Amino acid sequence: MTSLVTARGVSKRFGKVLAVDNVSFEIEKGRIMGLIGPNGAGKTTLLKALLGLTDCDGELSVLGLDPFRQRKELMQNICFIADVAVLPRWIRVSQLLDFMAATHPNFSMSRAQELLSHTKVRHDAKIRQLSKGMVTQLHLSIITAIDARLLVLDEPTLGLDIIFRKEFYGNLLNDYFDGERTILITTHQVEEIENLLTDIMFIDEGRIILNTTMDSLAERYSELMASGDNAARARGFGPIFERDIFGKKAMLFEGVDREQLADLGELHTPSVADLFVAKIKGAAA
Amino acid sequence: MIGNQLALVKRELWEHRSIFVTPAAVMLVVSLIVLTLYIAASGFGEAVEIAIITASNVGETERRVALIAFLLGISIVFVIASGILTIFYSLDALYAERKDRSILFWRSLPVTDAETVLSKLLTAALTIPLVTFAAIVIAHLINLVVSSIFVAIEGGSPGHLIWGSIPLFDIWGAVLIVLIATPLWLSPFIGWFLFVSAWTRRSPLLVAFLPIIIVPMLEYFILRTTMLSQAIETRTNAMPLFKGIDPSTIFDEHKLAVAAESVSLLALLDVGKFLSSPSMWLGLVVCGLFTTAAIYVRRYRDES
Repeated sequence: MTSLVTARGVSKRFGKVLAVDNVSFEIEKGRIMGLIGPNGAGKTTLLKALLGLTDCDGELSVLGLDPFRQRKELMQNICFIADVAVLPRWIRVSQLLDFMAATHPNFSMSRAQELLSHTKVRHDAKIRQLSKGMVTQLHLSIITAIDARLLVLDEPTLGLDIIFRKEFYGNLLNDYFDGERTILITTHQVEEIENLLTDIMFIDEGRIILNTTMDSLAERYSELMASGDNAARARGFGPIFERDIFGKKAMLFEGVDREQLADLGELHTPSVADLFVAKIKGAAA
Repeated sequence: MIGNQLALVKRELWEHRSIFVTPAAVMLVVSLIVLTLYIAASGFGEAVEIAIITASNVGETERRVALIAFLLGISIVFVIASGILTIFYSLDALYAERKDRSILFWRSLPVTDAETVLSKLLTAALTIPLVTFAAIVIAHLINLVVSSIFVAIEGGSPGHLIWGSIPLFDIWGAVLIVLIATPLWLSPFIGWFLFVSAWTRRSPLLVAFLPIIIVPMLEYFILRTTMLSQAIETRTNAMPLFKGIDPSTIFDEHKLAVAAESVSLLALLDVGKFLSSPSMWLGLVVCGLFTTAAIYVRRYRDES
């Protein structure tokens, strides 16, 4: 079994609102999956269900465990960084490391210290004395020092400047990811993580509207820049989304042979952000 | 797991520094007051005897009573302070982590909600009393040393007048038992405070105390009975630890004289009666129910 996460018919209801609506998917070992969706799409609820922080209907298995009922076992092999899960402001860095070492069987103190030695985070500092960027560095160092099989990142770089964001993803790939570990990540800043993802999943109104590998995304989707008659002819192939750019039409096609479109204008693979907009707006239309 | 509990209780001590700061502050204030009184008294010279302690002409028993009263008086201040500390600690224990949004971080670690809540209960019911006890012992020693110095200045012999007269280990034994027994007896309140702390969205202090005041009032107005207020009253002042005497008369001179002659505060305590009191065990059950409810709220409530 290479599938780390298996969801079959997973739903979560808050009163009358169906936050996650009958969702099924799998995440395989060694992948970096991006979970993309507008605000209120059910991303965070789905992540919480995966992390055992909330109960849900349907069949959900993470590392072969029921996340809600076997949360303690799960948390030995899974880590997460979320914008809403902040480090306590009163604790000292050294205390935090001691606490991790005492409670987490898979935490390596020496690895954490080595990772932190590359940052400006001092061991005797309290969290409240660190900048937001440094707190995130600290958090990532701690998480990286845990020998965990699945890392879940929920908007990990929210509120950080571009330098820290680049560094964060750089460290994530260099220090954490080794092809054995698996990452599930959500963010609004899709452009920044686009080229590190291996898989992508779009979620909207609680439903998965796209679930594909990045490789097949390039095969399946194409964006054409065309004008005048060519645009009108291209429209015959049934674009899933169309918008105006500098007087030209940008059309997004799904499952249309590139050779058929090649003569009509400039052809390239759409960015994840453009595809996302097309899928969300297309679904709404 | 024991290892997790140790780490969790240690974390409570890091977070709630007031557990150490409060007894330390009380120690400082009490010692300063005693010192001030000595200095003020010695300012009057030979005209004033410094309390009974320096008076070598009073009897052995009276001097013992005075010394016991002196140390018990100091202890009482600590006990009251630690009571207030316990209330504020229990109300903050599961509220602060939600307010500063660190709860999801704590929950991202392989520690169950039950282990976490239990460590907070343990801190309130055992760690705070033990820290308080250590502070009381230190405060006793400081103030006995200060007293010895003044006795010596007055020309008395502290070895005989103070150290020879005071049954230190008996006092400390009794104080320790009272410190451990009181949270057990009042455990329904600790459980209730922890539950409120896990459950309320705002002002835990208000949410914890309003029902204690309002519900008995409603009972009186609607049912014309006072069962709840009586239950609360009994719980707060009739701990079945003291042998046949009302704790409020513990400073009664006559009673103390009796105690002093028996040379033992410990002899006033009846641990067997306390441990076999159904009321005490019932209280623990109530505390268990509230604690379970607190674990449930922490586990099932979605905070975002």
